[in-house]
Amino acid sequence: MSLIPFRTKRSLGMEPASFSTSSLTDFRNEMNRLFEGFFNRPSVAPGWFETIEPGRWLPTIDMAESDETIRVRADLPGIDPNDVDVSVSEDRLVISGEKKTEAESVGNGWTHRESHPGGFSRAIPLPEAVDPSKVAAHYDKGVLTVNLTKSPTSASRKVPVITAS
Amino acid sequence: MIASSPTSPAERNQLSGSSAEQRLTYRPNVDVATCDDILVLIADIPGSSASAIDVQVEDGVLSIDAAVPARSLPGTAVRREYGIGGYQRSFQIGADFDASQTAATYRNGVLTIRVPRLAAEQPRTIPITAG
Repeated sequence: MSLIPFRTKRSLGMEPASFSTSSLTDFRNEMNRLFEGFFNRPSVAPGWFETIEPGRWLPTIDMAESDETIRVRADLPGIDPNDVDVSVSEDRLVISGEKKTEAESVGNGWTHRESHPGGFSRAIPLPEAVDPSKVAAHYDKGVLTVNLTKSPTSASRKVPVITAS
Repeated sequence: MIASSPTSPAERNQLSGSSAEQRLTYRPNVDVATCDDILVLIADIPGSSASAIDVQVEDGVLSIDAAVPARSLPGTAVRREYGIGGYQRSFQIGADFDASQTAATYRNGVLTIRVPRLAAEQPRTIPITAG
């Protein structure tokens, strides 16, 4: 058995000139972008019926349950409570809405953008069936809190979001 | 001051809001706009409050330091995607801006900072009187 060199002198000499610093930089930038996109995503695997669209911003959530209730909290900074929709079916909570850009005072002067204006929608499977008629949603300082009551009934309804103050 | 030492996964999974001695520090998403006469920074800082946010401009560096109270839901955690901690970030803005005129507002979890550009030195015309 003989070892075959991965790169012969000849192949090194024939390396395309385009494989230069600039393409390496592009590659690194692309990797950085992918990494950033990956780690900015919710750190858990999506559950059943959960929609996670690649490249779209989704609110970060926490969920906790007690004997009778399920509470969900979502970070929705900069989103007008009137632009948030909370809908509940028996086994699923959907938080959707639209983040508007603060364009009125800035015009076209953006030099750097990290926020994600536009529509978003996140469907969260619930650990137990809830009563869609007993749901309360509250928005304060960019954080939406939804209180759900466990129950076996099944129907679907929209939940008004109450603003703080 | 918020310590930036990260907590272990086990500690992060605990859902006891009162034991928040060890806190994470997050880097907020910030939009930056520079117009003719003003610099605008818009930072996503959900869950904080105006009194808990510290914005400073010193030596051409604008820094944001926001504390967020312990965020814990009562009951057993089912999902936990963000931990407990504040937000910190700094920007090198240079000497072209008037730090003393910096204005910041906090609304719906978003901090908006406006720093006006220093008024450019206007050429002065010196009137000459005939003797």
